[in-house]
Amino acid sequence: MNGLIYRNLKMYFNDKSGIFFSLMGAMISFVLYLAFLSQNMISSWSKVPDTKLLLDPWLIGGTLTITAITTTLSSLSLMVKDRESKVLADLNLTDISYLGIQFSYLITSVIIGVIMQLIMYFVMSIYFMIVDNSTFNLSILPQIVGISVLSSFTWTLFNLLLLSFVKKVDTLGKISTIIGTASGFFAGVYMPIGTLPTTMQRLMKFTPAPYNAAMYRSALMNSQLNKSFKDSPALTLSEFKKIMGININLHGTLTFQQDIMILIVFMAIIGMCIFLISGISRRLVTSKV
Amino acid sequence: MKLLQATSLTKKFSDKIAVNNINLTINKGDFVALLGPNGAGKSTTINMLTGIIQPTSGKIEYVGHATTGHAYRNKIGVVFQSSVLDNNLSVKDNIMTRAKMYSKSTQIQILIKKLGLESIWKQKYSSLSGGQKRRVDIARALVQSPELLFLDEPSTGLDIQTRTAIWDVLNQLRQATGLTIILTTHYLEEAQTADYVYIVDQGTIIAEDTVIELQKKYTQNLLTLNYQNGEVKKITVNDKNQAIKILTENSKIISDFEYRPGTIDDVFMNLTGKEIR
Ligand SMILES: Nc1ncnc2c1ncn2[C@@H]1O[C@H](COP(=O)(O)OP(=O)(O)O)[C@@H](O)[C@H]1O
Ligand SMILES: [Mg+2]
Repeated sequence: MNGLIYRNLKMYFNDKSGIFFSLMGAMISFVLYLAFLSQNMISSWSKVPDTKLLLDPWLIGGTLTITAITTTLSSLSLMVKDRESKVLADLNLTDISYLGIQFSYLITSVIIGVIMQLIMYFVMSIYFMIVDNSTFNLSILPQIVGISVLSSFTWTLFNLLLLSFVKKVDTLGKISTIIGTASGFFAGVYMPIGTLPTTMQRLMKFTPAPYNAAMYRSALMNSQLNKSFKDSPALTLSEFKKIMGININLHGTLTFQQDIMILIVFMAIIGMCIFLISGISRRLVTSKV
Repeated sequence: MKLLQATSLTKKFSDKIAVNNINLTINKGDFVALLGPNGAGKSTTINMLTGIIQPTSGKIEYVGHATTGHAYRNKIGVVFQSSVLDNNLSVKDNIMTRAKMYSKSTQIQILIKKLGLESIWKQKYSSLSGGQKRRVDIARALVQSPELLFLDEPSTGLDIQTRTAIWDVLNQLRQATGLTIILTTHYLEEAQTADYVYIVDQGTIIAEDTVIELQKKYTQNLLTLNYQNGEVKKITVNDKNQAIKILTENSKIISDFEYRPGTIDDVFMNLTGKEIR
């Protein structure tokens, strides 16, 4: 399996334009934020001191969620390409079992997801450190790494399920476009979740995206939230957290631990679905060559 | 010795019968050609023999054992009709990563030598010429030192020099290792050098034998005599001796002659051409 994981990793990192496009969703959110989202939000939260220092890590949290979604999808697209180009048939001739091959794609995707999230985290943090004089808080790094692993796993499984029956690179392209566009929305980056109509909010909560973003935001914004809101009533802070998607409301406000639980439940459900359809999926992707 | 045997092999795709009840016997060390036009069912046959797809019905046995297991996959190498290697990776990465996917030890250095890959070892697969790519494909198929090598139209789309070069490589391999080769082709001259030929058309085997026997059965040797008076006469003869006899008898009155022995081209024409069907 090591040989295949190594090959899959090399395939991803050798394809510079592929990497670029897999980060497209994240870059769009970043650029939109710099161009006007940040101005809008700063003016709507003008009562809160140091709004900019608060919103920069907020943006990072959402963008990292987008990165997790799109880079794992991009990594798994190799699986579809291999199906179409008969590489899968060739891999099946080796000593690696079909299950082993599937696991290799999964592990590759998790690794890539983590690496790309961490790279994006450093790039954005350093950017804001230079431009906005924000502090680079290294003490939360272990937490960030933890969240990136968890979100990478979640989105790998999510995308694996999504691609279960896809055999054509053409179909894959369409799916990537939809996911790339939708991810920024579901992570509540283009518009904070609290500003959306309730039906939209409910729809978003059926995906792991808002919980994932909430975890990142809680971790990244914690110290600045305490500073900025130290003179405000507790209600203002909890209202801010709810609107900005730092705390998600699901029969009451979710804690960080509950967000983790929800992601794990998502993984369990998605994993179960993958398991249930794996027989059909395997027959479909290996039947015709 | 019988290496691989397929009995009553059939493959149906929804409504279409791609391969219809064929029988094949492959002996150890032989070079066997499946000759047939596009759509004859050659790739489908190879895919069934290699276990990539399951036959609708029929039986495949490798020295008396089923071909579904792990052991069989270790005994075979497959060169697919379209390449299955990664354009984005170097030759080295392509070959070495595949080698790591087998649990038995591999002899890459020997392979590099035999197939002449030293000079292109570090090059990206996508930057190679058609013939070089094919050599790397063959190297990939040989990574696990198989006993039986399948090649699905290995020289389609290559120019004649490159084809010959691929040919030399395969012949050397056969001589050096006793490798058994099954190959599909629609190039008649490629089948000409085979030990045994199956001629496939529309999913069935329409003829099978050694090249010599096929020529005997399905072709005629043609002797054309050009007389001094300008007359031209075409005579079919059984063999060269009969031709020499006719030539000696007529040596005084002919200005020139042409002798064309039957080829595998004629076999194919005669079998699939309008005269027969
Ligand atoms: N997956 C498939 N589904 C339906 N028909 C197929 C499939 N694969 C091959 N065929 C049909 O089976 C016939 C034989 O195909 P193939 O084995 O590829 O021929 P060859 O390799 O001799 O050119 C063709 O008519 C082809 O259209
Ligand atoms: Mg074919």
